[in-house]
Amino acid sequence: MGVLEMKDICKSFDSLKVLKGIDLEVKKGEVVAIIGPSGGGKSTLLRCATTLEHIDSGSIVIAGETLVKTSSSGLTQYTDKKTLQDIRGKFGLVFQNFNLFPHFSVRRNITESLVHVHKKSRDEADAICDALLEKFDLTSKADAYPCNLSGGQQQRVSIARALAVNPEILFFDEPTSALDPELTSGVLKVIRELAKEKMTMVIVTHEMSFARDVADKIVFMDGGVIVEQGADVISNPHNERTREFLSKF
Amino acid sequence: MAELQSTLFQLAGGLRFTVGIFFLTLLFSIPLGLIVARGRMSKNKILAGVVRIYISVMRGTPLMLQLLLVYFGPYYVFGVKLADLDVGPFKYRFVATIIGFSLNYAAYFAEIFRGGIQSMPVGQYEAAQILGFSRMQTFFRIILPQVIKRVLPSVTNEVITLVKDTSLAQVLAVTEMFTMAKNLASTQVSVMPFIAAGAFYYIMNGVIEIVMTRAEKSMSYYS
Ligand SMILES: Nc1ncnc2c1ncn2[C@@H]1O[C@H](COP(=O)(O)OP(=O)(O)OP(=O)(O)O)[C@@H](O)[C@H]1O
Ligand SMILES: [Mg+2]
Repeated sequence: MGVLEMKDICKSFDSLKVLKGIDLEVKKGEVVAIIGPSGGGKSTLLRCATTLEHIDSGSIVIAGETLVKTSSSGLTQYTDKKTLQDIRGKFGLVFQNFNLFPHFSVRRNITESLVHVHKKSRDEADAICDALLEKFDLTSKADAYPCNLSGGQQQRVSIARALAVNPEILFFDEPTSALDPELTSGVLKVIRELAKEKMTMVIVTHEMSFARDVADKIVFMDGGVIVEQGADVISNPHNERTREFLSKF
Repeated sequence: MAELQSTLFQLAGGLRFTVGIFFLTLLFSIPLGLIVARGRMSKNKILAGVVRIYISVMRGTPLMLQLLLVYFGPYYVFGVKLADLDVGPFKYRFVATIIGFSLNYAAYFAEIFRGGIQSMPVGQYEAAQILGFSRMQTFFRIILPQVIKRVLPSVTNEVITLVKDTSLAQVLAVTEMFTMAKNLASTQVSVMPFIAAGAFYYIMNGVIEIVMTRAEKSMSYYS
């Protein structure tokens, strides 16, 4: 069974149909890259999977727990508050613009949810934090504030923050798009390392060579549907729309 | 010289009320302002509408008039004897002053807080939600501290205005500093008491500026 199972996801904003029946399965340890033109619904799909948007119909199962499903009678129902809270502890999301908490130090950004949501002791939380900081080469920045870090460092902190709760799956929405070109490599390196450790990840990205290297499966989305998916979508696209999109890179 | 000393002494007596009105108003109006701000942003249209009217009336009519209404309202509307409304050692005229000031300033603070809360990027809420923080935790741990930093300069303005507004309590014959100065000036036939009172207000606001500047500095470690 997949860590993430999305079936027949439909989502509209008012009259605009943004997702038109998306099926996506992500297996444990798998890295899935989602590519596609702007406005194709990539972010919306990620936001639906991470509870930031509510779907109109379809079903989402994360780490074996049903977040939402549409019954045979057509009623779409989200799970209860408690399960929702449970599910939120099982995934992480890395935003394009980091969304770190500016008034917290790097350490508190990482430990705050461990202490106040997951009820770990300060010491436990600090130990988790220290290990992550060391891994991401940020040990010297533990007491710094986000505004004093480079974009690349901020994004690494936000990845560490998402990883702190030891999630079963990690979502990234264009993790390097807000960075200066020279800063992207550090962030991509961290994601590559996570891929090597078999972290289950879904990554929306415009970095084609990175996607090709790191992903086990590439999903090409356009116009609210998955046009094509597979291991070699980038090196060997079958669909005309995919080819046209890739030719721009 | 002796006259100046006695002037200052009597003004200092009035200063107790001035300072009392000042601190009690802040004590009640800031939390109330926060609640009013939340009400104003409520998804419940009726609640939001009522709060909106409250704010517009409080800001659109003179504080002096509001004080008079709070003071005489219970008598004229409900026929309550005002002496019955004293709270412990405090005369109702003083209590009414605090109520009037708090209701009025809560409206101003509410609009400042609302501006601050609405200026927060939605990404802060989303990050907090993903990390599992409850709505309360998100507000008090993530949003409010940042809002405080954002609204501090506007709050300072209101606080300084409040110092000067305390003189309005004279309409309820609360013997705050300005009332004292007026009485002294007429008995002494001199402007000295006014000048001394002015100096007191000015010093109070000087202290406030120092305190608020410190507060702003203490939050300048991030941007
Ligand atoms: N909150 C919203 N309200 C209304 N329309 C929205 C909202 N969010 C997204 N949309 C619309 O949905 C469509 C898909 O947007 P989405 O952000 O998912 O695309 P994307 O594939 O992530 O694009 P990009 O590569 O530019 O990030 C767009 O037409 C967008 O305007
Ligand atoms: Mg997007």
